[in-house]
Amino acid sequence: MKIERTIKYEADRVKGFGDEVSSVPGCEKLQACIQCGTCSGVCPLSIYMDYSPRQVMAMVRSDFKNEVLTSHTVWLCASCYQCTVDCPREIRITDIMYELKQRALQEGIYPKKFSIPVLAKEFYKMVYRYGRVSENLLAMTMFLKSSPLEALKMWRLGLGLILRGRFPLTLEKIKRRDELGRMMKVVDQVKINKLHDELKQARQHVAARSQA
Amino acid sequence: MDKPSKQTVRIGFYICHCGSNIAAMVDCPAVARFVGTLPHVVLSRDYKYMCSDPGQELIQKDISEHQLNRVVVASCSPLLHEHTFRGAVEAGGLNPFFFHMVNIREHDSWVHTDPAEATAKAKELAHAAIMRVAMHKALEVKKVPVHPDVLVVGGGIAGIHAALTLANAGKKVFLVEREPSIGGHMAQFDKTFPTLDCAACILTPKMSAVGTHPNITLLSYSEVTKLDGYVGNYTATVKRKPRYISEDKCTGCQECIANCVYKEPKFPDEFNEGLGKRKPVYIPFPQATPQVVVIDPQTCLNFRNGELTGKCKKSCVAACGDKEAIDFSQTETFQELKVGTVIVTTGFQAFDAKRMPQYGYGKFPNVYTALEIERLVNTSGPTAGHVVLRDGKTEPRSIGIIHCVGSRDKKTNRWCSRVCCMFSLKLAHLLKEHTGAEVYNFYIDMRAPGKGYEEFYDKLLEEGVHFIRGRVGEVTDWARTPDEEGKLVIRVEDTLAGYVRRIPFDMVVLATGLEPHADAQDVRRMLNMSCGSEGFFLERHPKLAPVSTFTEGIFLAGCCQGPRDIPDTVAQAGAAAAEALALIDKGFIEQEPNTAFILEDECCGCKSCIPLCPYTAITFDAANKKAVINEALCKGCGTCVAACPSGTIVQNLFDDEEIFSEIEGVLAHE
Repeated sequence: MKIERTIKYEADRVKGFGDEVSSVPGCEKLQACIQCGTCSGVCPLSIYMDYSPRQVMAMVRSDFKNEVLTSHTVWLCASCYQCTVDCPREIRITDIMYELKQRALQEGIYPKKFSIPVLAKEFYKMVYRYGRVSENLLAMTMFLKSSPLEALKMWRLGLGLILRGRFPLTLEKIKRRDELGRMMKVVDQVKINKLHDELKQARQHVAARSQA
Repeated sequence: MDKPSKQTVRIGFYICHCGSNIAAMVDCPAVARFVGTLPHVVLSRDYKYMCSDPGQELIQKDISEHQLNRVVVASCSPLLHEHTFRGAVEAGGLNPFFFHMVNIREHDSWVHTDPAEATAKAKELAHAAIMRVAMHKALEVKKVPVHPDVLVVGGGIAGIHAALTLANAGKKVFLVEREPSIGGHMAQFDKTFPTLDCAACILTPKMSAVGTHPNITLLSYSEVTKLDGYVGNYTATVKRKPRYISEDKCTGCQECIANCVYKEPKFPDEFNEGLGKRKPVYIPFPQATPQVVVIDPQTCLNFRNGELTGKCKKSCVAACGDKEAIDFSQTETFQELKVGTVIVTTGFQAFDAKRMPQYGYGKFPNVYTALEIERLVNTSGPTAGHVVLRDGKTEPRSIGIIHCVGSRDKKTNRWCSRVCCMFSLKLAHLLKEHTGAEVYNFYIDMRAPGKGYEEFYDKLLEEGVHFIRGRVGEVTDWARTPDEEGKLVIRVEDTLAGYVRRIPFDMVVLATGLEPHADAQDVRRMLNMSCGSEGFFLERHPKLAPVSTFTEGIFLAGCCQGPRDIPDTVAQAGAAAAEALALIDKGFIEQEPNTAFILEDECCGCKSCIPLCPYTAITFDAANKKAVINEALCKGCGTCVAACPSGTIVQNLFDDEEIFSEIEGVLAHE
C-alpha cells in the first residue's frame, strides 16, 4: 500500500476562496457553521461521498479549494434541500453546492473521470450547439469521456434499448439554430462574475450614500 | 428655594485629564484658561484625576476658600462619577444640585481624532455647563419608606430559596405558586448532577420548611394577576384558584382519594409527565407542599365542562367525614397583598419535542423526553424506578440520548440551554445503572463548565457510555438491515470518525431545551419588566446587576432570566433575596429630585400627558380637573414635559431657564 503525506501546508490553501464563496448571495451564512453534522446526517447521498457535506463546509471555509473542487461530494448532491431545511444555522448548503459546481466547471477543476461533472458539461455543450439534448449521444459522450470500459460492459442493455426503439440513433436539433447561436453569443458576453462585482460595487455605493 | 441672584453666582470649574484619556486629545489647560474668562467663573483649574481623593478635596477646599456656590466638572460620563462629585460638593457645604457635570471623555476625547477640534468642542460644552449651572436651584432628595414584606412569584427551587432566606432574616414573605404544590421542576428530577444527590432528598426539607415557616404565607394554586404601585409600596392582586378543598381543614390524610368513585386512577398524571395515572381528586406527589389534595373539575364527575352539576354520589365527601374539608362551592377569589419588593422566580418550560418532527416524538412510542426519563428512573415514579418501554414490560437494551433538541437551532431556539449536556450525562449514568443497556450520547459540543462537571463527564467516559459528536439527522423506524428490524434507527454523522452511521436503539431520549413560559410576555407586562429577544426576563445589567430589573424593587432569579442549573439558581435566588433585604433594611428609597411637577393653576386638564407616561406616574384628579404626578413613580424621563400643550409641566434640573441657557452656551461658539 502506498502511504502519502496528508499534512496541509499554508501553500495548499487558496487564500480567499472561502470568503469568495461566502460572499455569493445565498452562501453568506457559511461562516456560521458549527460543524454539527446535521447536513451529513440527513443527506440521502452522504453515504457515497468522499467528504461529507459538513467536511465540505469546513474545507471551503479553510480555503482548501482544490481538494473541494476535485471531490465527488458536490457532484453527488441531488439538490433535495434536506440539509438546507434541517441546518440549525440556516446555511443554504445546497446553494453552496451549486456555487461550487459552477466554479468547478468554469475553472475546469473537477474529478475528470467522474461521470456526473462530465455529464453536466456535455449536457450544456449539447444544448448550446443543438438547442436540444439527444440522450443517446449524451450518454455515449459521457461514457467515452469518463469510463469507456464501463460503457462496453453495458453493451447488452444498450443493444436491448436500440432494438426496442428506446435509444434512437438520430441526432435531435431545433430549427433556426443560427438564432440560438446569436442568443448564446450574447449570453457568453455576460460575465457572471463581472456582474457579481458590479452588483457588489453598486450595493456599497448605495450603502455609502445612505450613510452620508 | 433660595436662588442667589446672578450677581452673587460664583462658579468653580475643573477639567480632568483622566490620565491621558482626555488630556491626549483635549488641551485641558487651554480649556481651563478659556473658561476662566467667562462671567461668574471665580476659578478654573485643570487636574490629573478629579475623581481621586485629592481631586475631591480640592473642590471642597475651593468652595470654602473662594466662597463658590456653583461647581462644574468636565470629565467622564455622569453615569460614572456624577454621584462622586455631588458628594464632594455636598461635603463642601453646598446643595449637591448646584453642581453640573460635562462629559468630555465619551462625548469628546474618545470619539474624536483631531486635537484642535476636540479642544474647541470641550470649550463649547464647558461654556454651556457654565451658563446652565448659574440657573440651578437647590433641590431636596426625597425619602420614601419601604414596606418590609416581600412577594415571591413562583415556588420552584429559586422561589423556595429566596423565600426561606428572607423569612429566616425575619421578613414576611408571600410565596405565590400557580400549581397545587411548590417544588417546580426540581421536584420532578430523580438525581442532580454531578453529585447524584437525590433531588427529593435535598428539596423536601426546604419545601416543608416553607410550609411551616411562621414568616411565609404560602399561596399555592394561585396566580398574581396585577401589580400596582412603586418600589417600596406595591399592591399585588392574587387570584386564588378553587381547589375545592378547604386548605385549613384538609389534613392530608388522602381518605378522599382512596374512596373516590373512580376505583382506579384513570387520568394522565401531570407530575409524572403523563406516564402515570391519577384520580380526579389527587395530591400531585407524596412530598407535595402544602399537603392538601386538589380536585380537578375537568375530570371530577361532580362537574361537567368545569361547571358544578352535583351528579356524583360524592363518596369523597363521606370519606372526609367530620373534617368537612371538601367544598364544592369554592370559586375563584382575589386577594390583595401589600409588599415593598417583588422577587420573580417563574422558571421555564421544557421545549415541546413535537416541534422537531424528524425525531419522531409523539409518533414513535419509545421516543421520550428527558423529563419523562426523570420520572421513569425515579423510585416514586410511575414504574417505581423500573425502566421499561411504553409497553410496560420490555427493558431497553440500547438507548440513544440526543442533545440540543430545541437548543442552538435558529429554527426553534437559538440559545444553548446550558443544562442539557449535564442532565444528559446524568440520565446516561442512571439509565446504564438501571438497565445495563448500551447508552449513546449524540452531542454537538460537550459543555461541562462547572465545579465537578468535567470530572463527571470523565466518569461517564470511563463507565463505557458512548459519545458520538454529531447532531442527529433523523430517528426512523425504517429498517435497512436485519438488526434494525423493530428498532428506532438514528442516522447521524459521527463527525470525529468521519462516517455517516445508522445505529439501532430500543429507546431514544430527547434532551429538550429550556425556553420561557408561553405566558412570559403577559407576566412581563404585568410586572413592568423587559424581555430579551429570546423571551427571558431581562436583568438590569448582565454582569453588574444580574438579579435587578429595570423596575426598582423587582428582582429576578432562576430560569425565568435564562437557562441555568440548580447551583446557579440557588446562588441567584440568594442574591435576589439579599438585594431585597438591602432595600428593606435601609427602610427608605432616596428619590432623584429630577422629577416632573405640574403648575396646578395652569393645568387645563387635557389629560394629554396621562397615557404617555411610561411609568404610569400621572393620574387625573377628577374633582379639580387637574393632572397629578406621583413623585415616587416619576423617573424624570421628561416625556410629559415635552407633550404638555400648555407648558404646565416642569421638570426639576431641566426647566426652561436651565435648558435655554445651556443651548445659548453651546451656540455662543459659531
